[in-house]
Amino acid sequence: MSRIAALFLLALLATPAAAKTAPDAAALYNRGSDALRRGDLGPAVAQLLAAHRIDPRARDIRTNLAIARSRVEEREGGDQTSTRIPSALALSAPESWNVAGALAAMGALLLVLAASRRGLLILGGSVFAVGALFGIGLLLRAREEVLHPSAVVVAPMLEVLPAPEERPVSPYLLGAGEEVRLGATRGDLVQIRVGGNTIGWARRSGLWRVDEAPRYTASSGSK
Amino acid sequence: MTGKRIALLGLLLSALAGTSPSGKLSIEARVAPDRVAPGETATLTVEVGYRGLNLPEVGAPAIAGVQVERGGTAQNLSILNGSVTRTSTTVFRLTPRGEGVIPIPPLVIAVGNDRAQSSPLTLTVSNTAPRAKPPVPGTLPPGATPSGRPEIFVKAVADRSRAYWNQQVTYRLRLYSRVDVLGDVDWKPPSANGFWTESLGPPRQGRVRVNGVEYAVMEWPSALFPTRTGALTVGPARIRCRVARVIQPPDPWSMLAVPDIVPQDVQLDTEPLTITVDPLPANAPPGFGGAVGNFHLAFHVDGLSARAGEPVTARATIAGAGNVPSIRDPEIHARGASREYVVGTSTRLERTNDVLSGERERDMAFVADQPGTLEILPVRFVWFDPEARSYRWQSSEEVMVRVTPDSTGGAATAPLAAGGAAIAASRSTPGPMGTLTLDPPGSSVALFGSSALLLGAGLLAGRARRRRDRDPRWARQRALEPLLTRDLEAAESLAGTGEPAKAAALAEEALLKGAGLRYDVEIGGVARPERERALKARGAGEAEIAELESLFAALHAIAYAPPETRRADAKEAIAAGRRTLERYRKELLT
Repeated sequence: MSRIAALFLLALLATPAAAKTAPDAAALYNRGSDALRRGDLGPAVAQLLAAHRIDPRARDIRTNLAIARSRVEEREGGDQTSTRIPSALALSAPESWNVAGALAAMGALLLVLAASRRGLLILGGSVFAVGALFGIGLLLRAREEVLHPSAVVVAPMLEVLPAPEERPVSPYLLGAGEEVRLGATRGDLVQIRVGGNTIGWARRSGLWRVDEAPRYTASSGSK
Repeated sequence: MTGKRIALLGLLLSALAGTSPSGKLSIEARVAPDRVAPGETATLTVEVGYRGLNLPEVGAPAIAGVQVERGGTAQNLSILNGSVTRTSTTVFRLTPRGEGVIPIPPLVIAVGNDRAQSSPLTLTVSNTAPRAKPPVPGTLPPGATPSGRPEIFVKAVADRSRAYWNQQVTYRLRLYSRVDVLGDVDWKPPSANGFWTESLGPPRQGRVRVNGVEYAVMEWPSALFPTRTGALTVGPARIRCRVARVIQPPDPWSMLAVPDIVPQDVQLDTEPLTITVDPLPANAPPGFGGAVGNFHLAFHVDGLSARAGEPVTARATIAGAGNVPSIRDPEIHARGASREYVVGTSTRLERTNDVLSGERERDMAFVADQPGTLEILPVRFVWFDPEARSYRWQSSEEVMVRVTPDSTGGAATAPLAAGGAAIAASRSTPGPMGTLTLDPPGSSVALFGSSALLLGAGLLAGRARRRRDRDPRWARQRALEPLLTRDLEAAESLAGTGEPAKAAALAEEALLKGAGLRYDVEIGGVARPERERALKARGAGEAEIAELESLFAALHAIAYAPPETRRADAKEAIAAGRRTLERYRKELLT
């Protein structure tokens, strides 16, 4: 029984055959690593973040992403002395969704069986609740990504200013490699959000969206 | 007239006069004016006196249809020939909500057993009543201040009534006071649509003479910068403060009749101001970024030579007086730079002499990866000078920076990783492919869909099970099962192993229980006639009862018959009992 369940889980966890147009984690990783060697921190973080989304357990991707992030912190005056590599216990988005769906399905199956075996009721309910909660969490994360996509500053220095009709204040400066979220757009400007708060507007050309990282090549850049 | 009647009459008279029977306590109320127009305010003054130290307080009277607000209380104490007398004067503001004659009930005060009450009053609210003159903004209502020499007033002034777009207009809000202002002054800035505002510092205090009278004055200065053209209005500003008002004592002949000081809350509004904003002259020179004022540009490059890969920083500083926070930084460009980036910008503001001034700095770094010349182009800054009524500009010189080869002779290399971690090598083989969106894949959608269906099926199955569990026929049928599978099988086994008496007794017991379950009646241990009556009452037919009784009799007889004669009979009777119980099970299922 346990062997069948394990096989079932493995089958669900296996990423479905990607379409030919799906981005390749290795290509993203190579581009990000090249940018990191050049000292081009913005593109490095953007490409490595994209690679990490596809293959979150790959050690080389995690290592280089951690190096890129630590360099960004170093450049901003952080006192980080060691590189923190992201955990290997991570799932990609499709894997997380499949785990959540599998848990919910198993819980529901146990609830059906509980009609004849009362002892399965609590177990089935618990498994289903875990799967459903996990799914809700993933749904909220996906919704946030749609509303406020993750992006990385690729311009060496990006000025974040108030909207033209707002009271002028000193600009907020973001350095290359800093991770932000984007909001509404207006012409060439996009709203910048950090930690859930809007901090102002910046040029769109100074930012790369993580989900659009495969569009950019080594010759892409921002000045 | 008896003494009792005299006492009663005295009590009545004293009550009407507002004095207690002992004559120690007195209260008098009056309303002025006693005829007001709707929306106007009348003043109820209550004077209380007591020969002694315990002066009672007067509470706000509850008057239907009138908003009552306590204005303040003044107290006085006098000692004459060893006799202490205390008096108080309390003022209430009455604001009626509707028209009509409003009765003001008597006010009652008491000290111990001494009670006194004021005479009832009336307040007439009518549209025909003469209206009080509206208070002049910046002054207290008439009666509160002597005419021509207001005790306290506010004034808003602007240093110019006509300005250019983005030219500073200095706005000053001033509070003049001849009375002491208690505590902090709460001020609400004016609504200034079409302007952006910068404070010019904390409030200032001083003394001035106005119309020959000396006033203490507080001033709140701010700079307004118009962002629209045309006639713009600066709305009224509001000041709320508490002043110390002197109230003369009611008993001017008292030895200790010193004036009392009562705090009074005051709210004062300024008059709105209109500023005419002119647009800037047309044909602004190229590069004009909205700076209005008097500025100058300074430009500095941190070196005239640099190695390849090293940044060269150029700084443009704009300093002067005007709309410093909103001016656009000058553009700094270079020819021959491989990379350029903004190092930083900063703004410093000063508010000296009520003029907003300061400087803005912008640092740009240029990196040339190849040896040669880095050409930093001239920086040009254009602004409008409102005093000269013309545009002015200033340009820096072009700066040539010599770029020499770096120490390695090649391009700059990336710094080492923090913490000593080595950058992992590139991959030579394709990696896994996937999606970068966080949306659910089709497989998980199918899983969630199927789990929802399964959950629905589980809920339906659980509901059906609960309904079945609540059915008594189902419960009886389930109770019948062990009789067939356990008890009768045990009886058959006993009959086969030579113990027919025990087998018959066990089968009889099972049959009794089974019949009881079938007809939902307890017949175990009951005498035959009662058993027959009970079964009949639960719907068993005569033939059924007779068959059952015959079986009971047969099993009973076997249980007590000699062993050698009853073995085959026992098997036969047990089989008959099984058939009966199986029939009962079928009947309960249908």
